[in-house]
Amino acid sequence: MTIIFRAKLAFTSCLLLTTISVLAQNSKLQEEKELEVVNFKSIKKVLQQDGLSQSARLKKKQVAVMKIEQQSLERDRFNYPSEDEIWGLVSEFWLVKNAQLLGWDFEKPDYGLDESFRSILESLGFYQKKFKILLVNTPTLVRASLPGSEGEMILIISVPFIRSLDLSKLEISLLLLEDYFRLDGGYFKKAVSTDKLKKLAGTSFSGAKPDMGLIEELIKNYDIQINQKGYSFQQQFETTKKMDAYLKSNPQLWNTYFNLLGKLQNFLKVNVQYKDYLKLYPSPEMQIKWISPDEKIL
Amino acid sequence: MFLILLMTSLFSFAETTSTDEKIVGVFYMTPLFGHVHQSSVRTSASLTTIQCAHPVKVIESSKVSVSKEWAYVEVADYRGFVMKQYLSEKRPDCIQGKYPKFFDALNMDLSELYYWGRLYDHYIQGETRVH
Repeated sequence: MTIIFRAKLAFTSCLLLTTISVLAQNSKLQEEKELEVVNFKSIKKVLQQDGLSQSARLKKKQVAVMKIEQQSLERDRFNYPSEDEIWGLVSEFWLVKNAQLLGWDFEKPDYGLDESFRSILESLGFYQKKFKILLVNTPTLVRASLPGSEGEMILIISVPFIRSLDLSKLEISLLLLEDYFRLDGGYFKKAVSTDKLKKLAGTSFSGAKPDMGLIEELIKNYDIQINQKGYSFQQQFETTKKMDAYLKSNPQLWNTYFNLLGKLQNFLKVNVQYKDYLKLYPSPEMQIKWISPDEKIL
Repeated sequence: MFLILLMTSLFSFAETTSTDEKIVGVFYMTPLFGHVHQSSVRTSASLTTIQCAHPVKVIESSKVSVSKEWAYVEVADYRGFVMKQYLSEKRPDCIQGKYPKFFDALNMDLSELYYWGRLYDHYIQGETRVH
């Protein structure tokens, strides 16, 4: 009985060892296995004559490079995305988390904004700019601009707001241009960025769980910036001056922008539904003053 | 006799359907998430949600007319429509593929996956170029 048990034990151990060695073999690269099979030392002379030792050296180098690449890919699996990738991810995650509140999943009118906004950007010399526009079906969020990945911009504008003001596609595009300048000015990123983002982006969390507080903090800051904090007078001044400088070369665009600010001012004065707009984007009245041509005293 | 007739008609039907369809190729989904739509309209119902780099079979069929912005596709058991701008011949470099552990930790629920796909249906996208 003991002999049978020992024989079984020996057989099982043997099987286990074979399995482990097969598994160890499997974890190696195909090229590595090939190198092991051929014993280059014993056939050195023949190989030298055929010039094959050179190709073997080359192969060894290739295997080394591939191994490094494989290790780097494996390391990346436990990395936080880069800062640029995190911005794009968090902006979309924020839109997803607020889908019901913002009501962007609805059948919307085609204002031809892709063409209109693109042509304004191009006419002002902004090339290779990628944009995504999202129309939302709520008066609560009038407009916002969020950073995407690889320099992309995500611009949000409210359809009820567009309808209330009866905005043309050119006027909508000018509001989007203002939002692009705000984003380009880096105000949004500066307002919502966290220490965790700077510390963790692009680093490895190998051997531990990723710290998802990184995303939670950013989402919270997005909420505060978009719904409560908005932009300062200084930031509004800089944005408005930038609009003024760029649009001056095209009087038609400049006039449309100037009239649009007037339209906004009159509308927001009487419409209580949009009273928060002035807290977030101060203030059309000041904007008009900042870009009004100086009055000549005769 | 009836059985033979039935078999013949069935075979000829099968032949017609197979010759009417052509697989254009296998393409890959490029956005983070996307939907296979019931019809070729952005807001049409979703048959299934698929994620970035998911392979889809693009089909050409004489029985299905598709506008130039849409592709008629087959994904698993579903046949529906995907916007062409979201398909690529090459497997894209997706964020969930690059950072799988981090992405898993986002712990997204089904409704979030659905809305993320929907987001790409609603974006108005563009890029400026030098003319």
